[in-house]
Amino acid sequence: MSIRVRLTLWYGTALAIILVIFAGIIYFVMAQALHDRVDAALQDAAQVAIRSLEDRFGPFLIFEDLSRDFPELALVDKFFQIFGPTGQVTIQSANIKSREIPLSQTAFQAALKGQATFESIRLRESIPFRLLSVPIRYRGRLVNILRVGTSLQPIEDTLHRLLLTLVIASPIAVIVSLLGGWFLAGRALCPVDAITLAAQRIATGDLTQRITAPTSSDEIGRLASTFNDMIARLETLFRQIRQFSADASHELRTPLTITKGETELALRRPRQVEDYRSVLESNLEEIDRMSRIVDELLFLSRADLGEIKLHWGPVQLDEVLAHIQQQVTVLGQDRGIQATLTDVTPTTVYGDELRLRELLLNLVDNAVKYSHPGDTIELSLNHMGAYARLQVIDHGIGIAPEEQPRIFDRFYRADAARAHANKGTGLGLAICKWIVEAHRGAIHVHSTLNAGSCFTVLLPLSSPS
Amino acid sequence: MRILVIDDEPKVASFIRRALEEENYAVDVASDGQSGLDFAKSVNYDLIVLDLMLPQLPGMAVLQQLRAARIHTPLLILTARAELDQRVRGLDAGADDYLTKPFAIEELLARARALLRRGSGSSTEILQVEDLVINTATHEVTRGGQRIELTSKEYALLEYLMRNAGRVLTRPMIIEHVWDLDFDTFTNVIDVYISYLRNKIDRGRDRSLIQTVRGSGYMIRAEE
Repeated sequence: MSIRVRLTLWYGTALAIILVIFAGIIYFVMAQALHDRVDAALQDAAQVAIRSLEDRFGPFLIFEDLSRDFPELALVDKFFQIFGPTGQVTIQSANIKSREIPLSQTAFQAALKGQATFESIRLRESIPFRLLSVPIRYRGRLVNILRVGTSLQPIEDTLHRLLLTLVIASPIAVIVSLLGGWFLAGRALCPVDAITLAAQRIATGDLTQRITAPTSSDEIGRLASTFNDMIARLETLFRQIRQFSADASHELRTPLTITKGETELALRRPRQVEDYRSVLESNLEEIDRMSRIVDELLFLSRADLGEIKLHWGPVQLDEVLAHIQQQVTVLGQDRGIQATLTDVTPTTVYGDELRLRELLLNLVDNAVKYSHPGDTIELSLNHMGAYARLQVIDHGIGIAPEEQPRIFDRFYRADAARAHANKGTGLGLAICKWIVEAHRGAIHVHSTLNAGSCFTVLLPLSSPS
Repeated sequence: MRILVIDDEPKVASFIRRALEEENYAVDVASDGQSGLDFAKSVNYDLIVLDLMLPQLPGMAVLQQLRAARIHTPLLILTARAELDQRVRGLDAGADDYLTKPFAIEELLARARALLRRGSGSSTEILQVEDLVINTATHEVTRGGQRIELTSKEYALLEYLMRNAGRVLTRPMIIEHVWDLDFDTFTNVIDVYISYLRNKIDRGRDRSLIQTVRGSGYMIRAEE
């Protein structure tokens, strides 16, 4: 059952229950009020009659004069009866006509005790009457019983009409409100249908879809905008993943092409042992390159997912730098490349020592890779405002100005670096950038083609807390 | 048959060169787009193998500039991208075929043969002049059903003559198509190789197929 139908039914049922209760209350209050008014009127009439009777005739009535002197006894809507002390009718108003309404036993007994009695009766023609019997006493003795009566027919008619009105009007009200509820629920839920349609289109793979629901600030509007935000994030994420896997497969394809090609070529015909050896050595190089790509890819994808946790602590940067200098001696041994420490200020920053080492190692590895044989790499550490400033300067091949903004992108390799025999994975600087940003620092490069590059890393001096 | 390989990845270029050389093709390698374009403009190659991902000048630009310069050498593109639009764009820009990296060596060689065949207007791997038959796939040479063993250079020279049977080939043409850039053009190596071929193919036969065209060069054809 759709929400629209359910909402409408709930709404209709609630309204029906309310209407029934409301109608019941109206009916009973109305009936009560009308009856009370009849009783009050009967009482008034009885009192007036008794007072008049007592004023004029004393406790003993002269019945013959009564009807003559009291035309009000012949009122249209009320009739009077006066009973003797034994309960027999002695006089009655003309409008009672020939109908005999005897005094009931209950009323007579009450009158003997001096109490007035209200009674409702229904005559043979089923005309309802309301009767009030009041005892008239003189010196403790019952002398007469005055009865005032009136027809309840007008009240019954009124109540009947009221009931009829309620019984007919209530279902109409319920039906109208059901239709209104159906329409309103449909209107309110219309954006939900739009959201569903959009979600279905998105489910088929079209992440460019957006919900064009009204941008109101109600629940539906919020749902729609939340939904749109979510899709936008998904779209970005999917694009990144697609780009990433395309780049990754592309990067892996080159070493795969080499290993496959060289191996197939070697197997085409019998070769010298040295030929096999050189193929295996080359393949090993490519396998190392692939495993480095895979490792670095894994690191970056885990970093994207926030799965890389930094182990924060104080890091003595000058010590790290001294250690890195020794590493350069090893890395640059083959080509006579040295590193010198210029301007080292003892500095402690708050960070993950292992990651910061990795960062510096990546930077000096690049510096060594793209330096000319016999070059010197300069390392420096000093303060700049609230930051520690690390610099790695080489005098190697440099980076063209138009390529400098992109070198921190994943898999981006400058043309000069591409042509360089000793190729990297294209991920080293992306990892550097991630590490620096995870430390709330910044990394940038100044470089001149064929003159060298200067990588600057800024790390905040204060602890993150 | 002389082939230009344009690929910036030295190892890839190197194994492609070795594979092609083992098939007796003369091979030159260019490691970037610009030098590849210069090579292709200065030498009349029979086939160009072009990687699309190149520094400086992208492969697609090399292809477009080649075709714009009315150089219609058969061209095989290599791409790491298997995406359809890359291949379609390459073929639309005038490439004759494509291979996606990583590829099988045998497939590269088969496609190279097919493109060379197309370049010489032949439709099979078998070339025949009278009773001399060579198979360009297996490099098998027979005359009158008798198998003839040739060295790789001899074979390359013979294949070039056979592909152009009936046409006079000048020494510079032969140099250009059978030897690569390292070759010193001032030696009489062509005449030497022609005589080797004659020894193996024509000696002791009734009809000589390899003919000297005085003052211009050589040709292979059935004697009238």
